[in-house]
Amino acid sequence: MSAVGMLAGIVGASLNLWLAEPAKFGLGERVLLAALMLGAAGLFAWRGAPIAHAIWGSKKDADLRLRPLGRRLWKFFWEVLCQAKVIRQRRLPGLAHALVYWGFLAFALVTLNHLAEGFGCDFLSYAGAFGAFYQAFAGVWALLVALAIAGLFARRFLVRPKWLGEVSPESGVIAALIFALMATYLGMLVVKQHSPAAEYLWWAHTLVLLAFLPIIPGTKHLHLLLSPLTVFLKRPEFSQLPKLEGDEEFGLVTGKDLTRIIALQAYSCVECGRCTEHCPAAATGKVLNPKEVVLGVKAFLNSHGAGSEAPLLQDEPVGAQRALSMQAAFACTTCGSCEYQCPVGVQHLPVLIGLRRGAVNTGAWEDRYGTKLFLSLEKQGNSLGMSAAERDKFIARQRLPLFDGSQEYCLWLGCMGSYDPKGREIVTDFARVMQALGSSFGVLKKESCTGDPARRLGNDLLFGELAEQGLKNFAQAGVKKIVTVCPHCVRTIASDWREYGVAPEIEHHSEFMARHAHRLPGLMVGESSESVVFHDPCYLGRYREVYDQPRAVVAMAGELVEAERHRERSFCCGAGGGLACLGEEAGERVSHGRARELMESGAKTIGTACPFCNSMFRDALGQVGGAAPPQLLDIAQLVARRLPVQPLDSGEPRG
Amino acid sequence: MKIVVAVKQVPEREAVLRVTPDGRSIDESEVAWTMNEPDAYALEEALQLKQRAADAGLGEAEVVVLSVGPERVQSTLREALAKGADRALHVVTPAGGEGSLAERGSLDVARLLAEAVKGEQPELVLTGLQSDDLGAGQTGVVMAELLGVPHATLVLQVEFAGQGGDGRRIKVRRELEDGWTQFVEMPLPALLTIQSGGNRLRYATLMGIKRARQKEMRELSAAAPSQRVDQVVKVFPPLRVKQTEMLTGAAEEIAAKLVERLRFDVKVL
Amino acid sequence: MSADVLVVMETKGVGERRTGGGAAWHRVSMEALAAGQTLAAELGVACSAAVLGESAAIAPLAAELAAHRLETVWAVGDDLLAVYTADGWTAALEQLIAQAAPKFVVFPHTYQVRDYAPALATRLGEVLIGDVTAVQMAGEPREPLFVRQWMQGKLNAIYRHCKPGGFCLLSVQAGSFRADAVQVGQSQVQEFAPKLAAEMIRTAPSEPIREAAQTVDLSAAEVIVGVGRGIGEQENLKLVEDLAQALGAELAASRPICDAGWLPLERQVGSSGQTVAPKLYLAVGISGAIQHLVGMKGAKTVIAINKDADAPIFEVADIGVVGDLFEMVPALTRAIRG
Repeated sequence: MSAVGMLAGIVGASLNLWLAEPAKFGLGERVLLAALMLGAAGLFAWRGAPIAHAIWGSKKDADLRLRPLGRRLWKFFWEVLCQAKVIRQRRLPGLAHALVYWGFLAFALVTLNHLAEGFGCDFLSYAGAFGAFYQAFAGVWALLVALAIAGLFARRFLVRPKWLGEVSPESGVIAALIFALMATYLGMLVVKQHSPAAEYLWWAHTLVLLAFLPIIPGTKHLHLLLSPLTVFLKRPEFSQLPKLEGDEEFGLVTGKDLTRIIALQAYSCVECGRCTEHCPAAATGKVLNPKEVVLGVKAFLNSHGAGSEAPLLQDEPVGAQRALSMQAAFACTTCGSCEYQCPVGVQHLPVLIGLRRGAVNTGAWEDRYGTKLFLSLEKQGNSLGMSAAERDKFIARQRLPLFDGSQEYCLWLGCMGSYDPKGREIVTDFARVMQALGSSFGVLKKESCTGDPARRLGNDLLFGELAEQGLKNFAQAGVKKIVTVCPHCVRTIASDWREYGVAPEIEHHSEFMARHAHRLPGLMVGESSESVVFHDPCYLGRYREVYDQPRAVVAMAGELVEAERHRERSFCCGAGGGLACLGEEAGERVSHGRARELMESGAKTIGTACPFCNSMFRDALGQVGGAAPPQLLDIAQLVARRLPVQPLDSGEPRG
Repeated sequence: MKIVVAVKQVPEREAVLRVTPDGRSIDESEVAWTMNEPDAYALEEALQLKQRAADAGLGEAEVVVLSVGPERVQSTLREALAKGADRALHVVTPAGGEGSLAERGSLDVARLLAEAVKGEQPELVLTGLQSDDLGAGQTGVVMAELLGVPHATLVLQVEFAGQGGDGRRIKVRRELEDGWTQFVEMPLPALLTIQSGGNRLRYATLMGIKRARQKEMRELSAAAPSQRVDQVVKVFPPLRVKQTEMLTGAAEEIAAKLVERLRFDVKVL
Repeated sequence: MSADVLVVMETKGVGERRTGGGAAWHRVSMEALAAGQTLAAELGVACSAAVLGESAAIAPLAAELAAHRLETVWAVGDDLLAVYTADGWTAALEQLIAQAAPKFVVFPHTYQVRDYAPALATRLGEVLIGDVTAVQMAGEPREPLFVRQWMQGKLNAIYRHCKPGGFCLLSVQAGSFRADAVQVGQSQVQEFAPKLAAEMIRTAPSEPIREAAQTVDLSAAEVIVGVGRGIGEQENLKLVEDLAQALGAELAASRPICDAGWLPLERQVGSSGQTVAPKLYLAVGISGAIQHLVGMKGAKTVIAINKDADAPIFEVADIGVVGDLFEMVPALTRAIRG
């Protein structure tokens, strides 16, 4: 940015372009200018005050910590100053936006000088070397901004991508104002010094500037002011949920449960629709629209103010706050794509899960499947409601060694690994890989769910009980290191359990296998150049930022192919957020769309790294897979099938 | 309006059960306990009745939950309070030895419950159809007899039927066999045993648990045990462990074997 | 006159008001009769039986009962017994027991018995030993011990009656004794007129009703035939429909069958469909994916027919048949139809 600007400045200066100034203003004009400025500032304050109050008057975020500061500063630099997220997600419009943004930064000094000029105390004189350079430098930016804003205008009003929602006249006005601002500046560069034209242009520029100010609050252009702060202040962890304190906190029940950060984020929303564009629920015709949820919070704060006792959620999706409905909140797969995509730092998951917490912790949510799930977790300790005896039988049949404290790893099975026939195959194959590597491991005699579905569905009572029980079990068994095939278990134990204590170190089997990547190929037999498309599980990718490790494993066992959406932008399988347990989806199944996308890669095999994804795709391929669907294997299975055939070792600890 | 719900605490369905050395009862030392599921349905019905009574303008109903047993049963009473019951009565029996639950017969336990109910003078007494542990299925009916009130079993639905010559009445729908049902009307006070599965159970909530801490739990002392009329001689696990039995042979032979099993083991033919 | 074992017979559960016209015995009544006769034989005492109802209505039933090996058939008749009520039955039987003075009273363990027998036992200062699955003779002098289940079948418990001079009341579980073991013979009918008054009966029952099934309710079904992908074609569904009909079962399916539209969605069993808990779940061509297993794991008995011996369904099945369902299912249908 600075290099471009510097160059532009030098070019501009050498072309001898400088800013025409109007003749010195008399007292009348100065008074008029001062009055206009005061008026604009007053209007700005008048429109902005309720917003400031809605944000500041909201509940304090008890869990907000500014440290570690370095990470925050880096995010600020990268996402705000460099506009990295904006550009990466939508290349051309992103770049255009970045140009406008950088142009604005460049114009800060020019604008200050411009107004100072009105009172005869300008400081950027073309006579000085810096002044001359800067005026030309800004001129080049003005040109770039004018072009960029014209392009964005064309996109919004002519191309009209559906994510932007209905055409907003307000955006048109803003674009026109920005364009006028730049045009008048450029005009001043070409007209003569002290000419009447210079004076007209000066006033035109000033009026546009002053008109701009009061428009900002109350529109999405408030993001100009708020989003740098929002990005800086956002919660450091992905899908981070605040701890519920005291006897009166149950999640987001009424307006007074909204926190300052939530309010700040809601007012920062720029309505770009990236969240909705990438939302699996919205893409398959569910009621949920993450952008509307954020705007729903904003609308709520606008109509009720901060600290309201009015309920946030409606039973049915109707009326002004239709987006904030029970149905919408429970349609979220918690894939986190929205939170990941958002360029202005809005974190949707704490809001969506917060609304669920409010509904579940107070018992307002009534759902046949949900209740069944909670009761299964309460009584059987697993999300499938299976009897623990079934798990015992599986362990005995596969001769999985029991953890007795002597082994290095506790191999955690999870619900799917314990009860799902396919999940059991994955666990058994991964156990074979561990054995081939000579890693000692054992499985716990008794496991209960980590509480993942309870956590995502907002059942804090159940989640807390399961987390406490889980921590106790690990401590009693003397577990130091855990490895598991399920990313949901990894995330829940590693992050969510922290509210209740310190869990042993845990890693996903992709990380484990990638760490042993140097030794695995030596143990594998045969050749395989079969193409494998890897599906990034949300809870491994966006939640844990593990992208390369499973790919390294796939590459050992075949030829890695990428689906159109992959890594950070991978598309959900539809199972997360407890939805695998909530019955049939309305509209198209998320898993069907993703399965088609994976098949379009042309790969012979679909590689998964999560037993839930695997189970979703197994069903989906039965429907949309056609006559010869691709093979569906977990990455552990890709490796295990190339190991020499050897049944699992006995349960004796290894020496 | 006051409704008493009698609930029992039973071993979790998943519990690994051991028999005590004397071979006559379940070793309770490692058992995890839970609310008897049929009683959970009775509690649910009571909570819904409370709501319906309020909706029908019959005034504020109070749901009192009642259990007999040692200290441990308080966790089940708490659970009931968390789900919405207004207060709890705990008839305390010793954890082991004379006077403990294992030593008392079902008639004796029903007497303890009935005594506690008498102190409350409720209009309705609800309980589950049977217990998941001993499965005798008679505590409710025995209590009705001891209290001298009419009863109905296997109740699916309860309505207030207005006033009769003998005061307020209720009309219940009870399940008969083979998909038949019937309505039965009776005066209050009455006792109903609630059929499982008629309502949807509710899950425990954080708010419920927090509110439950402020609710009253009253302890009552248990009367001395009376002489048992029946006796448990021996408890033992069934010999046959559940294992898949694979049938082989020609289709007709297998079919004949299956029919035999359907008739005499599964008992559906 | 008095006998030592008294069996209380029940007429068809649903039709209390239809007792008069074309009444039949409740199936378990005959099993209870067999149990009573066996018990009496073991103890070397006599067995009697009782039937309750409005006098005219029960006369033919009592006559039918008299064709069995019994000492006395008690015809307990009263207008107030025209319709079953717990109060009526309890009062009438209390008086009959006082008169007949049996040592053992055997009931079929039916819904009706569960409704009144505990109250009757209480009135007699006794406890009903309910849902008995077997009777064993032991000790010296020989006395009967009664086996019943605890913890839903996870444990068996043996009970004995220990009140000297009392009445031992027991009810027998359906299917535990064989109705075809009932011994025929000759006995006499004795009418017994209990002293009942209308005020004694506090409840007012309505006619039994059975609502036409509007929607499929798999959750209440006792027997379910579940069909999965192994059925291959929609046309083949006829095979399992026939089997379901022969068994008096509801038809259910795994998700792929409903996805394909071969059966309506309300027949889907599994995590995204219904959860069922029948006495019998007969899985035909179902491999046993977890989504399906979670919906039917509550079944008391699972029988699986699948051609793949490694299908996970066999892990949860009590009885497994590895074979071609297109042969096996019609054979089973024929065998059931006899």
